[in-house]
Amino acid sequence: MSEKPIVIEVKDLCKTYYMEGGASQVVLKHINFKIYEGEFVAIMGHSGSGKSTLMNTLGCLDRPTSGEYFLAGESVAKRTDKELAIIRGQKIGFVFQNFNLMMKRSIVDNVSMPLIYQGVSENERRERALEMLKIVGLEGYGDRPPSQISGGMQQRVAIARALINHPKIIFADEPTGNLDSITSDEIMNLFTELNKKGITIVLVTHEDDVADYAKRMIKISDGRVEYDGLRKEYHA
Amino acid sequence: MIYQILREAWISISAYKLRTFLTMLGIVIGVASVVLMVAAGQTVSNEITKTFDSMGTNLIILAPAETVSGGVRGGRGRPSITFKDVEALKSLKDVETTSYVVNAAVQAVYGSNNYGVSVYGTNPDYLAVGNWEIESGMAFTEKDVKAGKPYIIIGQTIVDELFGLQNPIGKVLRLKGQPFTVIGTLKAKGDNLMGQDQDNIIMMPVTTLRQRLRGSNRPQYTDIAFVKVTQEDKMESVSKRIEYLLRARHYLKEGAPNDFSIHLMTEMVEKVQNVGFILSLLLSSIASISLVVGSIGIMNMMLVSVSERTREIGTRKALGAPNRWIMFQFLMESIIISFMGSFIGMILGVILSQIAGKMLDKQVPISLWSVVISASVAIFVGVVSGIMPARKAMKLDPIEALRYQ
Repeated sequence: MSEKPIVIEVKDLCKTYYMEGGASQVVLKHINFKIYEGEFVAIMGHSGSGKSTLMNTLGCLDRPTSGEYFLAGESVAKRTDKELAIIRGQKIGFVFQNFNLMMKRSIVDNVSMPLIYQGVSENERRERALEMLKIVGLEGYGDRPPSQISGGMQQRVAIARALINHPKIIFADEPTGNLDSITSDEIMNLFTELNKKGITIVLVTHEDDVADYAKRMIKISDGRVEYDGLRKEYHA
Repeated sequence: MIYQILREAWISISAYKLRTFLTMLGIVIGVASVVLMVAAGQTVSNEITKTFDSMGTNLIILAPAETVSGGVRGGRGRPSITFKDVEALKSLKDVETTSYVVNAAVQAVYGSNNYGVSVYGTNPDYLAVGNWEIESGMAFTEKDVKAGKPYIIIGQTIVDELFGLQNPIGKVLRLKGQPFTVIGTLKAKGDNLMGQDQDNIIMMPVTTLRQRLRGSNRPQYTDIAFVKVTQEDKMESVSKRIEYLLRARHYLKEGAPNDFSIHLMTEMVEKVQNVGFILSLLLSSIASISLVVGSIGIMNMMLVSVSERTREIGTRKALGAPNRWIMFQFLMESIIISFMGSFIGMILGVILSQIAGKMLDKQVPISLWSVVISASVAIFVGVVSGIMPARKAMKLDPIEALRYQ
């Protein structure tokens, strides 16, 4: 595993929130780990453990208070908002719990949306979006609005959207949180399939059976890494 | 990139058609009313110019001096200009002709018809001075003036009111019981600015008027005198010469005030046109209040839109949209709305002003101003009302925005 390139490396990552009135709350405490290309990692933890903050920081939506974060070899801990937006657009794919699709736009428009900010032409956007829809098994749905398809299918659209910029890594934040168990399995199988094709996936969840799809597990508790190892070897 | 922003903005606002339309309506009404008011102001100003043109702008009007007692301005003073003065002014350089008018208001009677009329006692030159033309018959002559002949020229209103379909030439009508023979009729001029009927007029030799209608113990004086100048740019110099000559003729000592007043028609035109300009400015500033309201409407809608679309903004940011992109998209949405509103408003304003012009039988100009106004409104209102919501959208924290329900 270690011969593969490193996608994510965090060193001594800390995050403190400073509130009005001078109070502060330490959310992440000296986090260290590496994620290699092709891994399927589940980040677990109870609510309030800091896993969402970790996810936001890894997803370049937030900056750490201190420590280092390398994404695909590049230090991104101290970048400006503008630079972070470019990094998100080029290297990261997001899948959200509530899909976050634009219901008034066509599925193709939704899938190809990240490419607008990369300056990709309209024709190429459409072409690539249709290709991604094929990968997630939604061929032929491109011109419908997302409101006409089921929740599971909507999440597939979101996955296609996350894939379209050929990201280094996909962050999925509770991707099955709004789905029933059968649909959840379908979505997780899709992730597994994508992972087999070599796509690096970081999954944030608090559900054990969802985490079971991942090979590796990082458990966060009270802002620290409590466990980092193979999922099947973890016994709570 | 601008095209992409424009396209995203367009798709976003067209997703909310009714809301966009209603918001746009505010700007449509605002711009249309400004364009209408500007057109109204310009029409008034054009009408003023036209009326003055019909009177002749190269005119200097001489009247008695205003009476001043204890610093308080009174009305017109005693007549001070004689017919001989007026005659003498004719010899001044750059003077085309001179005339005078002594007024009388009497009842004109013909057969069983009668009509209240304004009678002008004057000389034949008044036709040239007042831009009057003879329609049929002829004018009285200088000789008739000397002889005090009871000849009259009548305006179109008198023709219509007293004679109807009859030919008035050669007919005899009565004023204050005295007979006068109609020798000519005047071409119609229509109403003047104050809405007075200019065609309700009878002209006769001043001598006749003095003898038969309005006697005076100072019969050599005229109420008012006119000097027609050859060219408009000679007005000032001619008025200086008039002042000099009249002061000499009236034996006024150095330092003594003029016993007459000089009014330049060009100055009066300027004054009235200034009033017209101020009127049109006032009207359009009142109308632009509706533009302000419309612009607040856009801002309001954009603010609602930003908070409604918080999740969309968060998603777009997470997927790589730079803050500036988000800001420009929302700014563009508001500019599109105000641009379309202004354009429709401009067209509506022009159409409405033309319809109103047709209905009131007035020539309403389509001015470049309406285009300039609507174009600047489009940009200005769009930016002003869009910038605050757009900045709000830009500043949204993507993490907060994604969490927003």
